[in-house]
Amino acid sequence: MEEFLSFVTIDVWEIIFTWINLLILFLLMKKILFKPVKAILDKREKDVGSLYSDAEKASAEADRLRSEYSEKLSSAKEEADEIVRSATRKAQLTEEEILRDAHGKADRIIERAEENIELEKQNAINEVKSEISDMAVTLASAIIKKEVSEDEHREMIDNFIDSVDNGKEQAEGRKKS
Amino acid sequence: MNVSGPKIYYTIPILGGIPITETIVNMWILMAVIVGICLFLTRGLKERPVKKRQVVAELIVSKLYGLVEDTMGERNTGYAPFIGTLMTISAVGSLSSLVGMRPITADLSVTLAWGLVIFLIVQTVSIKTTGILAYLKSFFQPVALLFPLNIISTISTPVSMAFRHFGNIASGLVISKLVYSALASLSAAVLSFIPNDFISSIPIFQVGIPAVLSIYFDLFSSGLQAYIFCMLSMVYIANANEP
Amino acid sequence: MERAIVLAASAIGAGLAMIAGLGPGIGEGIAVSKALEAIGRQPECKGTVTSTMLLGCAVAESTGIYSLVIALILIYANPLVNLL
Repeated sequence: MEEFLSFVTIDVWEIIFTWINLLILFLLMKKILFKPVKAILDKREKDVGSLYSDAEKASAEADRLRSEYSEKLSSAKEEADEIVRSATRKAQLTEEEILRDAHGKADRIIERAEENIELEKQNAINEVKSEISDMAVTLASAIIKKEVSEDEHREMIDNFIDSVDNGKEQAEGRKKS
Repeated sequence: MNVSGPKIYYTIPILGGIPITETIVNMWILMAVIVGICLFLTRGLKERPVKKRQVVAELIVSKLYGLVEDTMGERNTGYAPFIGTLMTISAVGSLSSLVGMRPITADLSVTLAWGLVIFLIVQTVSIKTTGILAYLKSFFQPVALLFPLNIISTISTPVSMAFRHFGNIASGLVISKLVYSALASLSAAVLSFIPNDFISSIPIFQVGIPAVLSIYFDLFSSGLQAYIFCMLSMVYIANANEP
Repeated sequence: MERAIVLAASAIGAGLAMIAGLGPGIGEGIAVSKALEAIGRQPECKGTVTSTMLLGCAVAESTGIYSLVIALILIYANPLVNLL
């Protein structure tokens, strides 16, 4: 005959057995499962924390280096700009100077040339004047074969030349205007 | 149909007879299984997990510690192994009905023993944190007239925990036994036209139909009751440990 | 005869004890409806609301469970019969 406990019952020995079993199971599980796994979890957490702090340090270092480099780079660029600017300025100055010199020289040359031209012209005019008067005297004396007093003659010719001159000047003035 | 308590396998003939019941034997079996699983899960632990079972073990332990920390606060995480043990044996003990064992939590002695352990822990912690005088004084709060009520409410804590856990699992046991016997008589009635005694005694309706009930009473209720038992334990202990 | 009367009374008492199942039923229904409202209002809190609701339901169920235990005692472990 199998014996049964009643369905709703409180058995002191069962309670004691349950306590002992619970204690044994607690100690075993703590020793086998919870302690080692928790230790590993904690260790990994610490490792990950140190990894993170290392990475943070490295990234801060990298940031510092990068800012340094960019600073250097910008200062170098500024320097280069400065150099280029000063070179440009110098070149401009030189160019202007050269131009000014060239202009001055050219002006002087032109002036001198004009003076020469004027002088030559005057000479030429004078020469032409005297030649013409000579020629006219000879021509007139030859043509009219009549002795005209030297003075009268010269005066007549000068008048003529003057009129020619005047006519020429008038023509030039017309052309200029 | 007969719903009975745990079977007595053997009675040790000392101290007026110590009964070794089905509950106790099942508990030993379950303890062996749990310890075996723990040993399997934690074999060859490495800091960098290379095996799946270590991941499972870490998941269990970290979830448990997270739950305890959420419920009890950071300074009470030392209770996590105890709570974890209680939850494991409670859940496994209730779930053992899935493989046809009598669930150990369908025995009032077991749940009452656990409730008494919680009760003792709570009272000890409470005395330790507040001091013996303040502890005794707390029974006369807010007025001395309420002393009996305070005593009753203190004692009713483990009793209600034990009854709740036991009642849920035992009612599942009773209902599934009722369903089984009802299905057996149903199949006997349906198959009675078959002259062969052997064939007509096969309880065909017992296949499959009880599984639906089993999902609620065995899986859901077992897990929920284990969770609630541990949750209440944690809340009581954390309350007692409030400075 | 006395035994029969006690047994019958116990059976009736067990049945009456299960009337206490009303309270947890109503209470849990209210709790679940409130939880559903909460989930409808804040669907992102579904997990927390559900677990808290289950915990509350299980605690609210205790009175029903007590009555069940009383009924079980009256049926399977009747202490009154032994008093005869």
